[in-house]
Amino acid sequence: MEKKVSRNLGEVLRDEMYMRGQIIKILAEGPKTITEIAGELGYPPDEVLRWVMGMRRYGLIIEMPKEGR
Amino acid sequence: MGRNSNVDYDALIVGAGIAGMESALTLGDMGFRVLLVEKESSIGGKMILLSKVFPTLDCSSCISTPKMAATANHPNIKVLTFSEIDAVSKNLDGTFLVNLRKNPKFIDPVKCTGCAQCETACTVAIADEFNSDLIARRAAYIAFPQAVPKKAVIDRKGTSPCSFTCPAGVKPHGYIALVRAGKYDEAFRLHLEDAPLPGCLSRACYAPCEDECTRGQLEGPLPIRAIKRFMVDRYYIEHPEPEYGIPEKLNVKRVAVVGSGPAGLSAAYFLARSGYSVTVFESESEPGGIMRWGIPSYRLPKDILARDIKNITALGVKIVTGTRVSSTQKMKEDGFDAVFMAVGNTGGRRISIPGEDLEGIVDCMDFLKSCNSDDRPDVNGKKVVVIGGGNVAIDCGRSALRLGANEVQLVCLESNDEMPAHKWEIQQAVDEGVAINCSWGPKAVSDVGGKATGAEFVCCTSVFDTSGKFNPSFDESKRKSFDADIVIMAVGLLPNTSPFSSEVELNRNGTINADKETLQTAEPWIFAGGDALTGPSMIVKAISQGKRAAYYIDHYLQGMPMNSCHFDERLPMVDREAVLSRTPGDISDRKPVSLKLKPINEWARSFGEYESTMTENEALYSANRCLDCGGCSQCRQCVAACPADAISFDMRTELEDLTVGSVMLSTGFDIFNAANKPALGCGRFPNVINAMQMDRILAPTRPYNAVIRPSDGKAPSNIAFVLCTGSRDQKVNNRICSRVCCMYSLKQAQLLMGALPLADITIYYIDIRAFGKGYDEFYEQAKGMGVYFVKGKVARIEETTDQNLGVFYEDIEGNGGTRRAEHDLVVLSVGVLPTQGALCLFKDGSLKADPFSYIDEVDEDLEPGKTSIDGVFVAGTAAGARDIPDSILHSDAAAAQVAAYLKKTGKAS
Repeated sequence: MEKKVSRNLGEVLRDEMYMRGQIIKILAEGPKTITEIAGELGYPPDEVLRWVMGMRRYGLIIEMPKEGR
Repeated sequence: MGRNSNVDYDALIVGAGIAGMESALTLGDMGFRVLLVEKESSIGGKMILLSKVFPTLDCSSCISTPKMAATANHPNIKVLTFSEIDAVSKNLDGTFLVNLRKNPKFIDPVKCTGCAQCETACTVAIADEFNSDLIARRAAYIAFPQAVPKKAVIDRKGTSPCSFTCPAGVKPHGYIALVRAGKYDEAFRLHLEDAPLPGCLSRACYAPCEDECTRGQLEGPLPIRAIKRFMVDRYYIEHPEPEYGIPEKLNVKRVAVVGSGPAGLSAAYFLARSGYSVTVFESESEPGGIMRWGIPSYRLPKDILARDIKNITALGVKIVTGTRVSSTQKMKEDGFDAVFMAVGNTGGRRISIPGEDLEGIVDCMDFLKSCNSDDRPDVNGKKVVVIGGGNVAIDCGRSALRLGANEVQLVCLESNDEMPAHKWEIQQAVDEGVAINCSWGPKAVSDVGGKATGAEFVCCTSVFDTSGKFNPSFDESKRKSFDADIVIMAVGLLPNTSPFSSEVELNRNGTINADKETLQTAEPWIFAGGDALTGPSMIVKAISQGKRAAYYIDHYLQGMPMNSCHFDERLPMVDREAVLSRTPGDISDRKPVSLKLKPINEWARSFGEYESTMTENEALYSANRCLDCGGCSQCRQCVAACPADAISFDMRTELEDLTVGSVMLSTGFDIFNAANKPALGCGRFPNVINAMQMDRILAPTRPYNAVIRPSDGKAPSNIAFVLCTGSRDQKVNNRICSRVCCMYSLKQAQLLMGALPLADITIYYIDIRAFGKGYDEFYEQAKGMGVYFVKGKVARIEETTDQNLGVFYEDIEGNGGTRRAEHDLVVLSVGVLPTQGALCLFKDGSLKADPFSYIDEVDEDLEPGKTSIDGVFVAGTAAGARDIPDSILHSDAAAAQVAAYLKKTGKAS
């Protein structure tokens, strides 16, 4: 994937609300890593990490134990 | 101790970090009454956010939380969180006048249980300052899990421009945030809370909110009306009937509403929701007023209106059609306790020109009414002249073309730029074939045998005089005429209020005279609003009038004083420039979605809608362009989620003046912003973070639940620390040592070796300053654990293609020269900086700063904590960079100084 220029942090974090529906759809297929989710979304993994961790924080998704991945 | 009646508190302490808490506890234990003011929603400062403390590696939370609890529960300490001090000045008697500002939390702390359900429900994501921006928090938030008090607050910076602008109090920011979060039904319901005709507004509102949208200063405003249309259409397809019925709690009082336009329906809706028995009287055969009979169906389909009206009748509102009311007195006799007159504009204004009464002259409202009926006017093949330049004239012209008119000439006084109609509507009319003739005033209607055959015009040289008043001037030498079979007069609208002239006071233009705030007339039980009060307006303004009327009618019927409160209590609008400055830099270029119009050949001769509804993806994309100007969007999801009914958007800032015997400043420190050293890549490279972020990653309440690198979530295996970032550095104007960076880096290195046993840790340093008790042993311990120390100043950092980091440094101890090493995570050990706020508290400038901008201690060695003002003291890092043990020691020394001062001066008993 082509590297994007770092975006404004506030904008990235704001996007969590917009992206979470798409992330939930992707994770409905099964557990995935940050880079796998980023690959499917077409967004940089560092941005996806922030969205996923935000979703985890508020109980929308859970983290699988390593052996379960 | 007895109370000194001259002071409210013996000591004011500003800032409730570890220094402030320690001082407060010490003074409180001595029996002094302390007011501890903290600007954040929790006490604890920065220490509570740290992972461990050095050199003992004790848990920072475990040390902080007992202090926090002891502070909050101490009988002599009053803690005020989310509060600030605006100013402090010294009184003549030596006490201090304190201007206190209690910021609104919008959540009642007495009711809030700290359950955090508001956070989970909130739809606005904001950078979490308590996690060093590594993750988003919500606009409704509890600062951190160990917060004291553990109460939620709502981050409201003001009213968003869109929500502030809407006359009806609809909250576009709220429903857009809900659409963005995929909560479409909730978005519709939020709208319905504020206004009952979302379908009509989604089609025919002129959307003043879009004019104010902050995004308009970038690529263009959000298409707010189009997003609403998506939300409404989706909801109406899934909910052909309202989800609710008649309110359970009914009121015995009855209200009559005269007119079923937007104002009347809106009033009926809100009154019915309050439990009143409401009857709406409508003279026409179907309800809706201007929406049913005035606006053409290509702009507002009547099935949408009908569904909107169900939102009102579902509440039990009775709409009696075909009944013209001519006396309000009769209604009182019929048992109504109040009447709301919303008769609207039902007729066009007349102009006195020869031939005005000829056959073939049609009033604009009569024409549009016919167009909206089964008995449409016959204009097929005819030539039509429309006189007027407003939206109604445009509607008439476009409708005439749809009915088969051979030619439509729209003639108006105004120049093209002055035309009252909206530019886009004028353009659409032109695209459809309406010929626009500007700057012509009607002179006469020509006739043959009593029937209009055309209209004659003279050139209008100006419409308004120098004072801006309507006062057209003409050049009679320039004339123009048009043949016409039909001439439509659309030069203004008039209210049909004459039947009530003996019951309510009318203005010269026929509008009803009523109080502009309460809409109450001279007869207390009669209220009036909408176009009958304001003159021709917009649907959304009429809805606002109905809503306002319902509010004050409720007051009146409950016997409450009409001036006891105000209808519109919105927070002030946020400054759009401030919004843009909050998100500096690289905001993505997100072009607005264009309105989707059908091909013109499909709609130019059809009364069907010409605009299509957005797709879901378009709506989501459009909603995500929102900048969340006001912080909280007022989507009210927190209100629905809160089990304690604690949310209160009515809270406002409280100002209070207090007198205190002494002041202590413990306002802490700021962290150097590593983006100010751009060569080091912070903010540009995701795997370059600062030390506070690393402390959060290592903390028990960490945002990621693991030590991972931000670029991809993988565990780092080769981590570097760059010491002296932003301290001992002339280039960033901070030439002093921050005293903590070496030691917290050693701490983090050791913690990382525990978390990632296989990881390589490198510390780039100039020299290690391990000066405190046990510090050198701590340094040796790190070396013993395998931390690799490189004596070298890092010059720059570059990112590799796999997002590793090339660190370029000066090799001081080895062979010299510049070297490069590669790491997969770099931590910048940032220095500490003085805060600026405390120095500004004393407006007379009497509080002195030291050469490094920390609060100056007059004699640091012999009188720790004493400042340049007698009675004002400083504690902790507000006086200079120091670590936690030193801060605590300094705080206690300063507290002792306060106690001595209070005793000596008698400012406390």
